[in-house]
Amino acid sequence: MSPVSTAQHSALTVTDLVKQYRVTSQGRVGVLTAVGGVDLHVSAGETLALVGESGSGKSTVAKCITRLTEPTSGTVQLGDLDLTSLPKRSLWKAYRDIQMVFQDPSSSLNPRMTTRAIIEEPLRLHSGLNRAERETRIRRLLADVRLDDKLLDRYPRQLSGGQRQRIGIARALAIEPSVLLLDEPTASLDVSVRGQVLGLLRRVQRERNLGYLLISHDLEAVRKVADRVAVMYLGKVVEQGAAAQVFENPAHPYTRALLSSAMTAEYGRTTERFRLSGEIPSPMSLPPGCRLAPRCPLARLSCSLSQPETITISPGHLSACPVTAGQEQETSSPPLCGSDS
Amino acid sequence: MNTEPVLTITGYSGTFPAPDGGRLSVLEDISFSIAPNAITAVVGETGSGKTLTALSMIGLTPPAFRRTGGSILFAGQDLTQLDERAFRRIRGSRIAMAFQDSRSALNPVFTIGTQLGDVYRLHRQAGKKQARTMAAEMLERVRVPEPRQRLSQYPHELSGGTVQRIQLAMALACRPSLLILDEPTTGLDVTIQADILELIVELTREENMSVCMITHDLGAVAATCDQVVVMRDGAVRETGSCEQVMTRPADSYTRELLAASRAELSAS
Amino acid sequence: MTTLASAQPRLRRLTLTGRSAALKLGAVVVGLFAVMAVVSAFWTPYPPLAAATGPFSASPSAQHLFGTDTTGGDIFSRALAATHTDVGITVAVVGLSLVAGTVWGALIGFYGGWADRLSLRILQVMNAFPSILLAMLVISVFGRSLVDVILVVVLIPLPDYVRLARAEVMTKKHWQFAEAARMTGRRPAGVLFRHLVPNSTRPLLAYAGINASWVIATVGALGFLGLGIQPGSAEWGSMIAGGESGIVDGQWWMSFFPGAFIFVLAAAFHLIGDGLSDDGLTRRGQ
Repeated sequence: MSPVSTAQHSALTVTDLVKQYRVTSQGRVGVLTAVGGVDLHVSAGETLALVGESGSGKSTVAKCITRLTEPTSGTVQLGDLDLTSLPKRSLWKAYRDIQMVFQDPSSSLNPRMTTRAIIEEPLRLHSGLNRAERETRIRRLLADVRLDDKLLDRYPRQLSGGQRQRIGIARALAIEPSVLLLDEPTASLDVSVRGQVLGLLRRVQRERNLGYLLISHDLEAVRKVADRVAVMYLGKVVEQGAAAQVFENPAHPYTRALLSSAMTAEYGRTTERFRLSGEIPSPMSLPPGCRLAPRCPLARLSCSLSQPETITISPGHLSACPVTAGQEQETSSPPLCGSDS
Repeated sequence: MNTEPVLTITGYSGTFPAPDGGRLSVLEDISFSIAPNAITAVVGETGSGKTLTALSMIGLTPPAFRRTGGSILFAGQDLTQLDERAFRRIRGSRIAMAFQDSRSALNPVFTIGTQLGDVYRLHRQAGKKQARTMAAEMLERVRVPEPRQRLSQYPHELSGGTVQRIQLAMALACRPSLLILDEPTTGLDVTIQADILELIVELTREENMSVCMITHDLGAVAATCDQVVVMRDGAVRETGSCEQVMTRPADSYTRELLAASRAELSAS
Repeated sequence: MTTLASAQPRLRRLTLTGRSAALKLGAVVVGLFAVMAVVSAFWTPYPPLAAATGPFSASPSAQHLFGTDTTGGDIFSRALAATHTDVGITVAVVGLSLVAGTVWGALIGFYGGWADRLSLRILQVMNAFPSILLAMLVISVFGRSLVDVILVVVLIPLPDYVRLARAEVMTKKHWQFAEAARMTGRRPAGVLFRHLVPNSTRPLLAYAGINASWVIATVGALGFLGLGIQPGSAEWGSMIAGGESGIVDGQWWMSFFPGAFIFVLAAAFHLIGDGLSDDGLTRRGQ
């Protein structure tokens, strides 16, 4: 699914990313396709959210972008730099421009390092600043994430989950990257702290014009924070577009199922659930056509026979379901730009 | 329709050993009741004491925990005065609990049929074959697809959603009057969460029982619960009907929690 | 499941409850021996290797706390002086196998691949030999200098250190802080030695403590058998051997005291190792 190119300079572009694993299961060797050809782009100052359930491949996409896991094929372009073709030993330099905030604040910080040491490490490796300059920078970063200086000499075990996550963010911002990968940044935090951390991330983004790739299963947070959304199912992006559009007019059946199942803390809201039958199948035995077809109430015969084409619902809003797009064409007003039916 | 609460906790308090050698108060004056044929949610974040309260209802508090006062009335008995033997008669048959991490609640080396069947053999004195039939029936009631096949499978072969349903089946085997669920949807995918919660609501109606749901997910609460108890730092902050607590919260902490759950971004 | 696991992910506490008493006691005793080793370099009641400092084979008395041996040498002085040898060898052996084992294990745990597979085979072969017999064999073939003794005794527990370090690194390399370290720009070796290894020290040190107690006993055993130490030098094992014949005549002190030293020091190291070890119980129930 190729996104419509935008006028803005793309900070991060992912093209046809594929990740396959060779797996031996019960004596048989098979291929597990965790990511089956994904196209994404993130512009400076915008947040693209990647949502999906287990087996969707969203975390694998993040790992492949940073090459913490090597992708099987595809390209990742960071600004002008082609990350995927860099030799491994040059990778560490590229990490100046893209950083990651990890999910679990208790295990993403080295328990034996003080706050200062944790934030200082990237500065020592990349910045070329001397000790005093580093110290200044560290204090400024701490202020940016609204933490007190006196935490500099503490160890992670002495801090709360929210504080640890802020340190993780400070570390990621230390060498001033242009893109941040946020892998479920609030999932392990208490509910009352999540809003603060999300607010912090938003402010930092505005101040530094960062591009964010946010991986999350918290649809409410995504709705509030994301500019664009890409929905993944079993390794493929099934729908992509502006957050407002995708949430108000979900085109793909999977998106509809996902959104209608999400429960908000609002009393009395009853949404008619769009149901999928069965459960998410194992990524090892993928159906030949549309991956959702076996579970989809709207599936037609053609769905199981071949990969569905990508339909443009409206500029920037793409869906991999010709069936629902066909229905939309009939009922709604003429689309804004050319699209197939 | 019965309006007597199924279980009433009054003034329940308890302590844990403190790092400095003294005692740390972890539950203070907990009072609320569980309405019959309804789902009561006990809501709070980590450290609120909600799980400890649930464990107290079923007599499975950790040995280090010491009750310092209060009572838990259930079916005319004060559960805090029961010894282990008496509790065992109640546990599983009249009050049942499904735990947070459903996968670790099941023994990985036994098949589902064996584990589920054991519950029937133990509590209902059923024979082996009969227990298996009853187990299959129970799996059907919790909407597990192809129940007979599941009986010969092992926990690790099944998905998170199915395992959670099986845990529910085990808890329901003896038709308890009170079912306690500890975070029934944690770790499950969004669509499965919705399925499990629907199941719980249906079962509450069909089995004519009362449910106490421990959770931090206010979305789940809004969708399914009738009564809500809000806890923080070992104390009850607010109780009331779901509608009341969620639309007109009286307590400041409840308001904070609701705002955070609605992903309202605070300036930070 | 009756744990409070769901309630909170408790911050890991360094306070060990009953274990800490063991740790402190062990540390105190080892400290004492360390002091003895230092002091005896400068002073002992009698010159340790001298003969005829008093009556031959005299039982313990005020002048000779541990009695004298068949040549009239003061057993107390000799036992004190032997502290160098025995403690020295132990420290050298444990230090070497700890460092070598950690580096080897960490590298194969991190990189895996053919080096890992090959190493495991080698370790299996090393484990297959019965330890003391191997030591005896090697020493009697290659000579009984101190260096040979140390080398052999290092090789025996080495596989355990390697496996321990390997397991620790294999587990922790997937933790997020290792990935985060990669993202800060550290090259893999940097991640390994600056992040993963420092976080694995506790189980390795615990094992080192327990290993040390084995080493002391083994060095003593080798000395008793007359292997590895120059005859006549102060060493507990050989002192025990020296007193062998006297036991039948009721002269218990010549073997007893050096033996007691071995026992106490071995026990002390074991307590330290035990105190440091994390068997899972110390952290949970408060």
